[in-house]
Amino acid sequence: MPNPAPVPDHVPPDLVRDFSYFTGPGMCPMRGGDPQGALADLHDGPPVFYAPNNTYDGYGTWVFVRAEDQRRVLQDAETFSSHRRIFEKALGYDLPTIPLEIDPPEHGAYRSLLNPLLSPKRVMAMEAANRARAAELIDGLAAKGHCEVMTDFAFPFAVGVFLEFLGLPQSRREEFLGWADKQFHGTPEERGEAIRTVIAFMEELVALRRREPAEDFMTFVVEARVGGRAMTDKEAVGMGALLFVAGLDTVAAAIGFDFRYLAENADAQDRLRADPGGIVLAVEELLRMFPTVLMTRIAACDTEFDGIAIKAGDRISCPSMVANRDPAEFPDPNRIDLARENNRHVAFAYGPHRCLGSHLARRELVIAMEEWLKRIPAFRITPGTAPLTYGGHVFGIEDLRLDWEVG
Amino acid sequence: MRIRVIRDKCQGHARCWAQSPALFELDDEGYILPADIVVPVEQERAAWLGAKSCPERALVIEQDGKE
Ligand code: HEM
Ligand code: SF4
Repeated sequence: MPNPAPVPDHVPPDLVRDFSYFTGPGMCPMRGGDPQGALADLHDGPPVFYAPNNTYDGYGTWVFVRAEDQRRVLQDAETFSSHRRIFEKALGYDLPTIPLEIDPPEHGAYRSLLNPLLSPKRVMAMEAANRARAAELIDGLAAKGHCEVMTDFAFPFAVGVFLEFLGLPQSRREEFLGWADKQFHGTPEERGEAIRTVIAFMEELVALRRREPAEDFMTFVVEARVGGRAMTDKEAVGMGALLFVAGLDTVAAAIGFDFRYLAENADAQDRLRADPGGIVLAVEELLRMFPTVLMTRIAACDTEFDGIAIKAGDRISCPSMVANRDPAEFPDPNRIDLARENNRHVAFAYGPHRCLGSHLARRELVIAMEEWLKRIPAFRITPGTAPLTYGGHVFGIEDLRLDWEVG
Repeated sequence: MRIRVIRDKCQGHARCWAQSPALFELDDEGYILPADIVVPVEQERAAWLGAKSCPERALVIEQDGKE
């Protein structure tokens, strides 16, 4: 990791804490860990603190612990900007990450364009195809009596849904899976290479759909107008590449954490198998307990938050997994209650950048669990194995081995 | 019972709609329609659950004109 930046002068020393999403306790890759749970005790400390080395590239960040404070930060995009240029910096590539790193008011124009494509109603129209995809993958595993969830199910399912959404043939699944594997699990060099491959792919797709329009996502994007002018190629590529980065790993990780919980809790499996109607609420509760995304913002101007001076350029981190265990917002926050109501968790963020894919993601998780529980009898973590879990920029789980009896 | 809709705060989570699509109507982008909602007595529980499920706190429950 690069040398940490020095703690700025305006940060009071008593608010500096030795904390890191990358190297702190429970954050490094480990077997059978609980990275979200490892942060729950932040609620015993100050509501806002400064962590001097808390990004993958060695920057310090403020950390906002409380749900209500995160809501204030994330709803105020004018003060707390999303223009972090993470992509650009990581790639040395001038590509706008639309809409993730665009601020209002421009942000709104892109969202108005994209929202209808992933609205709750539109997602309902994709339901049957997505369900058939899940069923087919699980049918292929049931008779084996064991599997590794991430490579055998979670990623192929998420990639299949993504191809369907983009209007690409399923025959490209293996190719996409290879890129996804490198992008999310590779060395830094492999990641760079994979994302450049994805960008090149999107560039080709943009050119193709300009030449030969079809009834699909990219045709819609390249033919769209924003702010009264035509969409540029760069914008279209930026959107496509972001969807790849935002919509695969997140869904796969959520499936992984959900299935791990079920594997370790036979009674929860039994109850949901007997009452599949409970799966919708169960998925929400597991999103609350095991969210994976950290929201990062950059102060656009000098400001003050409850008496703490924040200077323009300061990074602000709003970890969803911490807000989701705020006792002020969720009674008994560390207990998993699969029937919890009023579950206004922040797994998909608050504010204008609320996950564009949240409606699709929710259905993917519900479908995955419904079809799995229908087809796979009581399952457990394969004895002698434990999944690899980690914190970092997007929390994750890998190597989740399950087995069950074949009758 | 009335639900006051703070449309500026709505970010289209559609959690209200998931509780009761008839009470909480969304536009084509998935944001709630701006008008306040007058709740029929028999739908008060659904309305309460819907309003409470809004992550942005865009829905305020008003009973007899009070919050
Ligand atoms: C369980 C799965 C998912 C989780 C937990 C998740 C979480 C999030 C979060 C927390 C944000 C906000 C980031 C920020 O404000 O800094 C976000 C944004 C976004 N997500 Fe998701 N996501 C998931 C699935 C998806 C899927 C399936 C898609 C695409 C089909 C998607 C597309 C996007 C896009 C485009 C944005 C940027 C929105 C904007 O900036 O306006 N996500 N996601
Ligand atoms: S739950 Fe809240 S943010 Fe979501 S659509 Fe309803 S009013 Fe809007």
